[in-house]
Amino acid sequence: MMNRLNNLATLQIDSSRKISFIFRGKRYYGLEGDTIATALYSNGIRIFARSLKYHRPRGLYSLDGECSNTCMEVDGIPNVRCENTLLKDAMEIKEQNVKGSLENDKMSVIDKMDWMMPAGFYYNTMHKPAKIWPIAMKQIRKVAGLGTLSPDFKMTGKYDEIFPTTDVCVIGGGPAGMSAALSAAGKGLRVILLESRPVLGGFFEYRLKEYKEGQSFHERARELAAQVEEAENIRVFTHASMIGAYNNNLITGFQIGRESDCFDERYIEIRAQSVIVATGCIERPLLFENNERPGIMQTGCALRMAHTYGLLPGKEAVFSIGHDLGLETAISLYDLGLKISCVADIRREGQDSELVAQLRERNIELLKGSVATMAHGAKQVNKVTIATVNGTASQDYNCDLLVASAGLTPVTSAITVVRGRLKYDDHTGYFLPDQMPEKMHATGRVLGLDNALAIESSGRLAGLQAAFDCKACSIAEIGEAENELEKLPGPTQGTKLVIAPVKGRKSFICFDEDTTIKNINQAIDKGFDVPELIKRFTSAGTGPGQGGIPGHNLPLYVAQYQKLPSISIRSTTVRPPIVPTLLSTYAGTNHAMFKRTPMDEMQREDGGVFRNIGVWQRARYFSNDFSCKAEIENVRSNVGILDGSTLGKFRISGPDAVKALERVFVSDMSKIKEGRVKYSAMCNDDGCVIDDGIIVKQGENDFYFTTSTGRAGSTIEWIRYHTRYDGWDFHMVNLTDSMGVINLSGPNARKVLEKIVDIDISNEAFGFSEYREFKIKDTISVRAMRLGFVGELSYELHVPSSYMKSVWLMLNEAGKEFNIRNFGVEAQNVLRMEKCHIILGQESEQRTNLLDVGLGFLWDRNKPKAKTVGAVALRQAESDQTRLKLVGFKMENSGRAPRDGSLIVDEKVRGYICTARDSFTLKEGVGMALVEGDLTKIGTRLEIYEDECGDDRIYGKVVQMPLYDPEGTRMKM
Amino acid sequence: MALTITCPICGKRNGYEFKFGGEERGPRPDEKDLTPEAWCDYVHMNNCVAGVQKEWWFHRDGCGSWFTIHRDTTTNFEVEKAEAEK
Ligand SMILES: [Zn+2]
Repeated sequence: MMNRLNNLATLQIDSSRKISFIFRGKRYYGLEGDTIATALYSNGIRIFARSLKYHRPRGLYSLDGECSNTCMEVDGIPNVRCENTLLKDAMEIKEQNVKGSLENDKMSVIDKMDWMMPAGFYYNTMHKPAKIWPIAMKQIRKVAGLGTLSPDFKMTGKYDEIFPTTDVCVIGGGPAGMSAALSAAGKGLRVILLESRPVLGGFFEYRLKEYKEGQSFHERARELAAQVEEAENIRVFTHASMIGAYNNNLITGFQIGRESDCFDERYIEIRAQSVIVATGCIERPLLFENNERPGIMQTGCALRMAHTYGLLPGKEAVFSIGHDLGLETAISLYDLGLKISCVADIRREGQDSELVAQLRERNIELLKGSVATMAHGAKQVNKVTIATVNGTASQDYNCDLLVASAGLTPVTSAITVVRGRLKYDDHTGYFLPDQMPEKMHATGRVLGLDNALAIESSGRLAGLQAAFDCKACSIAEIGEAENELEKLPGPTQGTKLVIAPVKGRKSFICFDEDTTIKNINQAIDKGFDVPELIKRFTSAGTGPGQGGIPGHNLPLYVAQYQKLPSISIRSTTVRPPIVPTLLSTYAGTNHAMFKRTPMDEMQREDGGVFRNIGVWQRARYFSNDFSCKAEIENVRSNVGILDGSTLGKFRISGPDAVKALERVFVSDMSKIKEGRVKYSAMCNDDGCVIDDGIIVKQGENDFYFTTSTGRAGSTIEWIRYHTRYDGWDFHMVNLTDSMGVINLSGPNARKVLEKIVDIDISNEAFGFSEYREFKIKDTISVRAMRLGFVGELSYELHVPSSYMKSVWLMLNEAGKEFNIRNFGVEAQNVLRMEKCHIILGQESEQRTNLLDVGLGFLWDRNKPKAKTVGAVALRQAESDQTRLKLVGFKMENSGRAPRDGSLIVDEKVRGYICTARDSFTLKEGVGMALVEGDLTKIGTRLEIYEDECGDDRIYGKVVQMPLYDPEGTRMKM
Repeated sequence: MALTITCPICGKRNGYEFKFGGEERGPRPDEKDLTPEAWCDYVHMNNCVAGVQKEWWFHRDGCGSWFTIHRDTTTNFEVEKAEAEK
């Protein structure tokens, strides 16, 4: 393990706390606060990955995950960005895209064959002749893509999601972002502050340079952070990256949890009144030959390695930079013990004179107007060629570290994803915000500022601008803030150099996709003239880093190659997710929510086997015999009790209630008699049947109706939608959860019920298809209906949920002498299937209309004024012979029933099985099927194809419906 | 996702709370003399305006009312009624 630097105020590691981890099967140690990347670096690992196409060695480059250089497999998850992921105990880390080892990759020979693979290689070659493609595809698939995911990999971890609302959302917790948050919060507004690194501070955090007399930048960062953390109305999310911004000021992001957090990652979706973009700058990569060789890193990376993680990134360094930050880094690292051969600065002039003086004091050679043109060394850099920017003179320097950066470039993705516009600025060489989206404000280094006081002042101004959006600040205050900022230094001049004086065969503009300058030239020479097209043809910027590396270099280089005026330079578009995000983070928590009926507990006690059915948990079986023989036979010969509480239950009342019912139900509702049950169905505008249920009249203009379980949630929406123009006077209440339903079925049902009620329930007094309201023990209001869904004498009792348990107990007590027993949803399914009573969704699908399932008799054709939903389409469908129709069938030669969903075939598919079971009652396999019109005749032979049955078919025969008790005497007895 | 909708009863709320109910196309036509084509047009044909359209929304996770708004389909921003009918 490398020795760490101690006693630096900026350190984020705790050298007293070691963390062990496994890399390539061996145990290593890092420190608390390390990222995976810095922990590996401290153990001497320099090659972190092999590149996508050429298998070139790749190393630590930026520390912020702008490229795939440090993507590794961590605990089975591929493509984890090691430089953004904090090291945790016992992590298992593996390299990716390697044949052999990172040091000796057998595929690296491809690097020498790059001449065979120009830009658009696959587009141009693999498709001609067409038959070569299947062969080529297999080969390409073997080598394409980064990382592999085992098919049986199971994602672990806790993923959360939150949807906060706020007045102001500040993206970026650097000096500008913190100043903005403080000034907006000072106006009494609620502020959310997102920072992608684990600590606040941004551009100030890791710098020990003097901010003002007696205070370093780092100390200033801590001072601002302390104020932010103290402010009650600022909510800070650290280690939280923005992944998308949308209009209406919706910001999405995700946060990586600390060990103490209750989540590993969480999705954050912020709705803000106003948004402040304080995302600062990243470095613009320097383009030269072998510019991505391990041992080459950006200035910020080198400085943060030392100051944040206590790791001196090399022994002997060469700097090739274009910004004062490079000089500052050289001085800081020299003082920490790094040997520096020379500092090549792209700029001929304009350096901070104080920094130049400090270099001179330390005898560090400063080469103005010079740049690295080539890195040498097969796997790690060991020598660098430095030349003048016009390429006239050159000299080699030995080194094991090359700190390289062309300059800075603002991070503008938050602005461009919301269709804000950027403009190339000649002075800074940056793409600066030109047209900001509504209620979004850019601040700090995003505006090109680099003076510390100006950055903070600009932050305060943005905070006030956001406050103005929230009506918490006056124009005059903004004017004052603007004046203050104007007195401070504006943006300094930036470097324009895009590429060192080289041909660019091995100058990589995009690391993720292995795109070289030569590839870009080839694309332009082929006629692709705008960066957006060149990006697609060469795939530069389409990798996991989303253009973090090529982002602004690509349009700048393209303009230079085409000799375009700078005014015409346009940056390419970025799209969410701006930062790679786990799908499990988007998915959030799986709450596995469901509703329980009032009888849930009692049915569990009785041995109910529960299944999720729609939004409910329901008792499907009451034994481990899933054929439900005992349950079925008990209902047919004795008496059974079923919990039907999941039915949709509604009250509709008011002068226009009948009109509303007639609009959605196909039947004539004006004729519902008091004390009678009306069965009807609802269709959609295509005549397709969507629901069925019963309607009873409980008073003048006052009805109670049921819907199927699955439709209960959308019934009110449906009725209101289809009456939205009419201005009718009616009112609806959803009683689904406040009422429970008990179904008492079987020949002995009356004997049980009469023991607990006071009214006469003989067949003469309470006949089939009738409705009664009564009270049990003068207290419990019951709505009772005589229905016959299962084909036996049945009472359906609708009882207030709070009384369900009491009634259930009374019935069970009363039924004891008959051996009453539960039956579940599956038994009910078989019973009603024998009776050919349909369940919508089982005996129908999306295209099945009312007529297809034989319910045409429900439809009253003589109410055109009602404009019933579906009536027009039904009229048109009446003569349509091409539709699938419902038939009943039994199996030939006492054969077993086919599986639900099996196909009816001859030469082609002719229909399918809806429900089929081996019926204990009928002692044969029976069912219902939807078949083409010419197969509906009684006696037609049906050829049934079951999944994976090969050539073995089973056969059924169309029979009359219903299959059980065709006269219906049993349910009317 | 970024949509907000202003319910006449509950005010401006997150778009997640609402269910889309299609373009505004007037009350159901009379069934008398209605041709299949005219009916099909009424039920299924959309104008797919690129710009401001009047459309129906249902406040499902709220007050449960149907109402119309004007929305610019190119930006997803709601437009004031007066402005939309200019
Ligand atoms: Zn509402």
